[in-house]
Amino acid sequence: MVVSENTAVSTVQAPTEQTPERNSAFRDGLNILLGSKVAVVGLCLVGFWLIVAVFADNCLFTPTCWFAGDDYEPTPWLARYSPYKQFSGENLAGPSAKHWLGTDKLGRDLWARLAQGSRIILTVAPLATLIALIIGGGMGLVAGYYGGMIDEVTMRVLDGVMAFPHILLYMVIIAAVGPSATNIVLAITIAGAPGIARLVRSLTLDIKTRDYVAAAQTRGEHPAYIMLMEILPNARGPIIIDAMLRIGYSVFAIGTLGYLGLGLPPPSPDWGSIVSSGRRLIMMGHIWDSLWACLAIAMLVVGLNLLADGIAEETQRYR
Amino acid sequence: MQNNHSDFVVEVENLGISYETRKGLVDAVRDVSFAIAKGETLGLVGESGCGKSTTAYGLIRYLGKNGRISGGEIRFQGTSLIGRTAKELRSLRGDRIAMVYQDPMSSLNPALSIADQMEEVLTVHRDMDPDEARQRCVAMLERVYMPDPESVLERYPHQISGGQQQRVVIGMAMLNDPALLIMDEPTTALDVTVEAAVLDLVADLRKDYDTAILFITHNLGVIARVSDRIGVMYAGELVELASVGEIFRAPKHPYTQGLIRCLPKLGRTKSSSVLHPIPGRVPSPAALPTGCLFAPRCDYTIETCNAEAPQPREIEALHLVRCIRSEEIDPKKWTPPSDLAPAVAMDTDTAPVDEPVLEVDQVKTYYEQGSASLLSLIGMGQKEYVQAVDGISFKINKGSTLGVVGESGCGKSTLIKTLIGLEELTDGKASFLGFDINEKVRHRDIALIRELQMVFQNPDSTLNPSYSIGKQIGRPLRRFKIVPRDQARAEVIRLLRAVKLDEHYYDRLPRQLSGGEKQRVGIARAFAGRPDLVLCDEPVSALDVSVQAAVLNLLLEIQAEHQTTMVFIAHDLSVVRFFSDYVAVMYLGKIAEYGKADDIYAPPYHPYTESLLASVPIPDPDVTQIPIRLDGNVPSPLNPPTGCPFHTRCPRRSLLPDGGLVCETDAPPWREAGNGHRISCHIPLDQLSELEHVVHAAT
Repeated sequence: MVVSENTAVSTVQAPTEQTPERNSAFRDGLNILLGSKVAVVGLCLVGFWLIVAVFADNCLFTPTCWFAGDDYEPTPWLARYSPYKQFSGENLAGPSAKHWLGTDKLGRDLWARLAQGSRIILTVAPLATLIALIIGGGMGLVAGYYGGMIDEVTMRVLDGVMAFPHILLYMVIIAAVGPSATNIVLAITIAGAPGIARLVRSLTLDIKTRDYVAAAQTRGEHPAYIMLMEILPNARGPIIIDAMLRIGYSVFAIGTLGYLGLGLPPPSPDWGSIVSSGRRLIMMGHIWDSLWACLAIAMLVVGLNLLADGIAEETQRYR
Repeated sequence: MQNNHSDFVVEVENLGISYETRKGLVDAVRDVSFAIAKGETLGLVGESGCGKSTTAYGLIRYLGKNGRISGGEIRFQGTSLIGRTAKELRSLRGDRIAMVYQDPMSSLNPALSIADQMEEVLTVHRDMDPDEARQRCVAMLERVYMPDPESVLERYPHQISGGQQQRVVIGMAMLNDPALLIMDEPTTALDVTVEAAVLDLVADLRKDYDTAILFITHNLGVIARVSDRIGVMYAGELVELASVGEIFRAPKHPYTQGLIRCLPKLGRTKSSSVLHPIPGRVPSPAALPTGCLFAPRCDYTIETCNAEAPQPREIEALHLVRCIRSEEIDPKKWTPPSDLAPAVAMDTDTAPVDEPVLEVDQVKTYYEQGSASLLSLIGMGQKEYVQAVDGISFKINKGSTLGVVGESGCGKSTLIKTLIGLEELTDGKASFLGFDINEKVRHRDIALIRELQMVFQNPDSTLNPSYSIGKQIGRPLRRFKIVPRDQARAEVIRLLRAVKLDEHYYDRLPRQLSGGEKQRVGIARAFAGRPDLVLCDEPVSALDVSVQAAVLNLLLEIQAEHQTTMVFIAHDLSVVRFFSDYVAVMYLGKIAEYGKADDIYAPPYHPYTESLLASVPIPDPDVTQIPIRLDGNVPSPLNPPTGCPFHTRCPRRSLLPDGGLVCETDAPPWREAGNGHRISCHIPLDQLSELEHVVHAAT
């Protein structure tokens, strides 16, 4: 306990030569990531799909692509082919040099579709988590900081939402508003926010008893300032770890929705839809569609979980 | 070590303990040697991080996964403990060697009844049958003066008070009649009156059982009371080892001398003496200086000190010192280095003007608490009120300091939280410079908020870990618009200098600071708005003594410069006496005694003040105190006793004609003793005046 306090301070250099704190926050983050083997493995798994998503084709780097209509054909890079291109006569093929992972029943290249699908999943899942974080986190902060009736009412309403199984919530919401990327985000947000609110509330309850919060109150600071500037930054560790896990859950959720036919409408190559359409082919001896898509989902989710575990373990050790 | 007594229960020779950390092996303890004889108490004292606890854990080879003994020898009852298997050690621990830890609440298992935990000691180590074990436990609880032991055995730890819990832990440790008892800060978490009773108990048990005791504490007063010999530790080394009398009367090591010098002695005041902190801080075990470890902080350093590490020498019989200059240095001839001497000559004549800054009139703060019934769940139950502050009145003049003392739960913290507006005032009136401060801080005018600031207790939570020091001191400057924005940085640096930190601290984060440094930043932040009134909630109680002295000096200096008025809370009566002009003694939400600091510490006493003074551990073995100990627990403020709140524990009720029946029914009147000194007690003033002085200094 004595030792751990001092390790952060005792550098060989004189204190004057220390780099300013701004850089070291970033360096700390990097140290945490690279300090844990688990986190590095997680980072590799997630990083693989991140790179694939960014460099699948030239679309992210060509502004015309963003405004062009459906007929614009991006140049495939890592994806090798367009996800919609049908190779006639090559349908239901196994892995080969030409089609690394094989083709689906319409003769589309599975690798190209997975690569394109990673882009969808890596946009929708973090975005949904971020929005859930803002809404749930805000509610948790307010409920935890004020306490009393505000806390009771907010948390009981959220408990009500949590009482529904997530799958049921997704189905009800999507069925009501129709399947689209925006509505998937909406569904995941509504299902995820209560859990985040609970976490942030419990962190707030703890942090608000600290003396620096009392010090801010004795300066007559506005409650919003205290919540956002004094409490929230000190809750960031657990929130970041939780967010990692939640992105993983969202990946699952998107996959599940796609499987249930509530995901993005065809011919969108989202992973859940690939599993779903591939399911019927398994009986015919063509397992590749479902296999690759399931592996992709598993890889991303396991990667995110390992990343979260690694960060949690490292930050705990720093304490 | 000394003479070849075979009587030694435990002998430690050149013990070294190291920990595996990210930066490699770190030597936490080096070259420590001592021995404890039967029936002897050895006290280990030193600032935090000096390796006291590590030594104790090393002694029983209980070091955690990353710790190991790197050298030396430990002999327990003649046989070596090094190289024993885990199983052998386990059978020794709890049987021949027992330990008592700091926090009794966490040493007891909350899920087991007291009986289960105590009997286990006997059934596991002694194969005793349950009935016999139970009888032994009852006898032991009686031995540790536990009232009603049979029923205590059936209870769970949370159902008895902290002092009783510690008695259970001590009783449990003594059940197997251990040869060695290790006590690691056993009274630090307890109130002073409870602490005194526990220390008495330890002394009693030692006499009866002839146990060797290793007693670890940072409190010099406690160590003076319990020990036969004292070892002073510094940065993982034993720097001095001698009898209690020698250590306090003629300390030979500069560190020991410094420790004793930086304590306010009970009876000293800021006008009669100054505190002399030890400069610098304990070096981290990962970055030790070459030569003598204390040299960088020592006033007597010569070249040789920095070059070679001193070895322990026996300079007198049974007096070991690790210093090459011990013979030459005389603590009586010590003069403070010029940069250390506080700039303030305490002029009491000029200080308090008769101009009340803060007037508090019958202030009450109650917390509402639903009773434990189903009805209260739906908001219909009977409301109960915790009467944390119950009708307090006083005035403070400009530039003076009011000290508030009392045991935990007496409402002293609630009082200042009410004044600063963190808690809602239930009834009564408080005004500051003529302005009402009855409202919570959110409803106050910003100009008023600026004039009232607070210094907090816990150095680890007083600063926000996410922001740099400069930002945190700069915030009140911006908020209260003290200086234009472009001068904010310069002003923060000026404030940092005022609290004796240099400008490099501007960009540092709180975790890079030591406890004392954090507390200084907290003080700089409180004084940034140039307030007229500063409320200090135990600002030094979490600090080491040398740091405590520096922080007290700093507060005095700033106060003298700005004529700031202060309310100062502490549970250490010597500190309060030293620091305050006026003192209020609180008990269960009420003021028991109020007056000038000097008057409080001399008769006439309130009986509660008298018992507090009798309990306070004094770091001087030549001082004797009248042994007055309070019985029972502090009653719950949910349901305080009728009449005088102190009547349930008052040792002086017998002075009243009918044994103090009136105390149970009527609220006590104020007895005016002149000079603003008032005592809330039924006992007439002349009888209170006849009470003896509690503290006697030997001539």
